[in-house]
Amino acid sequence: MRVFSTDHKVIGKQYAITSLCFLLLGFGLILLIRWHLAWPTRGLPLIGGWFGESNVVQGILLPEFYNQLGAMHGTVMVFLAVVPLGVGAFGNYLVPLMIGAPDMAFPRLNMWSYWLYLAGGLVMMAGFVLPGGAAASGWTSYPPLAVIATAGQTAWLLGMLLIITSSLFGSINILVTILQLRAPGLTLMRLPFFIWAQLVTSFLLLLAFPPLEGAAILQLMDRLAGTSFFLPSGLVVSGQTLPVTGGGSPILWQHLFWFLAHPEVYVLILPALGIVAEVIANATRKPLWGYRAMVGSALFMGVMSFLVWAHHMFLTGMGPTMSAFFQVTTMIISIPSVVIVSSLLLSLYGGSIRFTVPAHFALAFLPMFGIGGLTGLPLGLAATDIPLHDTYYVIGHFHYVVAPGTLFALFAGIYYWYPKVTGRQLNETLGRLHFWGSLVAMNGIFLPMFFQGFAGINRRLYDGGRSYSFFSGYEGTFQLQAWAAGLLALTQFLFIFNFFRSLRHGMRTTDNPWHATTLEWMTTSPPPHENFHAAPSVHRGPYDYSAPGAPADFIPQGQR
Amino acid sequence: MIPYTVERRADTGVNNVTLGIWLFLASEVMLFGALFSAYALLRTAAPSWPRGADVLSLPLGTANTIVLLAMSAAAWRARSAAGAAVRPRLLLSTLFAAAFLVVKGVEYSAEASRGILPSSGMFPAMYYTLTGLHAFHVVGGIGANLWAIAGATRVSAALTAGRTRALSLYWAFVDIVWLVIFGLLYLS
Repeated sequence: MRVFSTDHKVIGKQYAITSLCFLLLGFGLILLIRWHLAWPTRGLPLIGGWFGESNVVQGILLPEFYNQLGAMHGTVMVFLAVVPLGVGAFGNYLVPLMIGAPDMAFPRLNMWSYWLYLAGGLVMMAGFVLPGGAAASGWTSYPPLAVIATAGQTAWLLGMLLIITSSLFGSINILVTILQLRAPGLTLMRLPFFIWAQLVTSFLLLLAFPPLEGAAILQLMDRLAGTSFFLPSGLVVSGQTLPVTGGGSPILWQHLFWFLAHPEVYVLILPALGIVAEVIANATRKPLWGYRAMVGSALFMGVMSFLVWAHHMFLTGMGPTMSAFFQVTTMIISIPSVVIVSSLLLSLYGGSIRFTVPAHFALAFLPMFGIGGLTGLPLGLAATDIPLHDTYYVIGHFHYVVAPGTLFALFAGIYYWYPKVTGRQLNETLGRLHFWGSLVAMNGIFLPMFFQGFAGINRRLYDGGRSYSFFSGYEGTFQLQAWAAGLLALTQFLFIFNFFRSLRHGMRTTDNPWHATTLEWMTTSPPPHENFHAAPSVHRGPYDYSAPGAPADFIPQGQR
Repeated sequence: MIPYTVERRADTGVNNVTLGIWLFLASEVMLFGALFSAYALLRTAAPSWPRGADVLSLPLGTANTIVLLAMSAAAWRARSAAGAAVRPRLLLSTLFAAAFLVVKGVEYSAEASRGILPSSGMFPAMYYTLTGLHAFHVVGGIGANLWAIAGATRVSAALTAGRTRALSLYWAFVDIVWLVIFGLLYLS
């Protein structure tokens, strides 16, 4: 295996390994915070001395380091872990295989896409060794705070520019591949839902990331060239008036940032929905219920996601007219999500479900994503958002969407396609333990957040809010969360152990162990260079399961 | 072999390179669109805004506009050449692009010597950022031109034709962005 490979399968695996490492790193950062919030005066056990006196004193996090951990946890998880796993790894590995193509449309560009992503991640991480540490202004990098922050913020911005370039190359590649390299007979309405999800996701990445690129350039100019795009006049920092001309607008950054970051939410969710759809159709041995409605919803969701961004900004004083517009669009965009999740739920009806490990994760995704989605509705309405804004309720809401939601779907995908990538199965028992441990632990972490939020506990307080009256009675919930986070960490070691052990010792599988219909199962496991031994052609829809009169309960897409 | 790198696919009507460059340009529209929106918002919020011609050199700016138009005209003419014959026309467009950067450099140093820096106010901040990002696109295009020129004797004529089409579209986009910048900064 060449390191600088242009083979989409190698690049997909590189993305997978790198993004899983970042996932573990992002989790590690937040584990420190969870301990600190539960026991702020009790030093970290064992590892307390690893971080240097400028960050951790006698095992207790300093406020500056606490801010870095929070900002980098969000940044790493969104930009370096979940999106690269969902789009970079799953998209790269599976899109050409599922549409019957020999590779991506632009293999060399694809290679650049991976290496720019890795470089961007490393540049951001380099912030931790700069004076003043890594970026500490939240994953949203709001100015003026971000403009006056230490050098780590510059590393964050430069890393972001590299990641945006990587994502630009990757999204062009996926779009052109899907539209141009489909096998003969694979019409658009015969595409697996996973491919539709990747198509819409890539459009979002293509069109939503550039405004953040523009914003990052403006913030870099503010930090390095002394401009005042985001700095208002008369800004006073530590009692000194800042020596800049001013006249800029901090709100402008928020508009440009959320113009990316709301579509980004759908970039996180859509590949997950795609994976869950494939796994559920396979586990229920039935065609997806409402495939056409799901495709239409995914497209509608993609378009609408560009029209909802300012629901993150109800507290900026943008006025009732603007608020009304964005409340209406936000309520509208909940409809396609509900259509997709309802279709998946109805697909279960009357099915004889095979409870495999991927099916466990995919089935748990539905209620978990449901909780995440429904708790978002009160945040989309200004009247209820204003008291809940910046409380733990918000954290609970979007973590249900991305952690037991998207991450569970990504785990389902790993268990489902691992045999295709390696030719071996992951261990079933360890997989089930991983599933149940993660399900219990994640709910232990995120469910209390709704109650903390209702109590008014602010999300950004260094000591968790102990000096405020709203905190009384909630100490125990933070300790419960810390215990749950510990359990989650232990459970992930089962997965890591299983992942590496099965590479060597996993049970060997056939080319199509799940008896699935889509094209990637019609080639060997692992697939050869250029994917197929004979060029495939497609003769039917993606989910021809349990057709009456057929000899088996599935008919592959490529079978006449 | 990856299909449709040079030949058209019947149901989409394009080849991979053409679709790829149009998607890239769509993304670029969003990038400059965001910056032009930022310009509009900051300018309407500013208590005063200078006349462009009072701060910048309108003659040099106009001359540079003509140089840039000549550049993309040369790139566009390369579309009708075949195989290695695109090389002189792409080379001509590269020279015009380099000339544009030289004039831009002269303008920058003249403005800097008069004390007009990114930090001296919102208008110069916008000016340096927008023209700087545009100049970066010109530099990138020069690199792509040289890459296509070097490849023209090695790859098939059909592939060169596809690259030339993509380049001519890119340069036309760089022109359009410049015309908007010229209007926003020099003429208003």
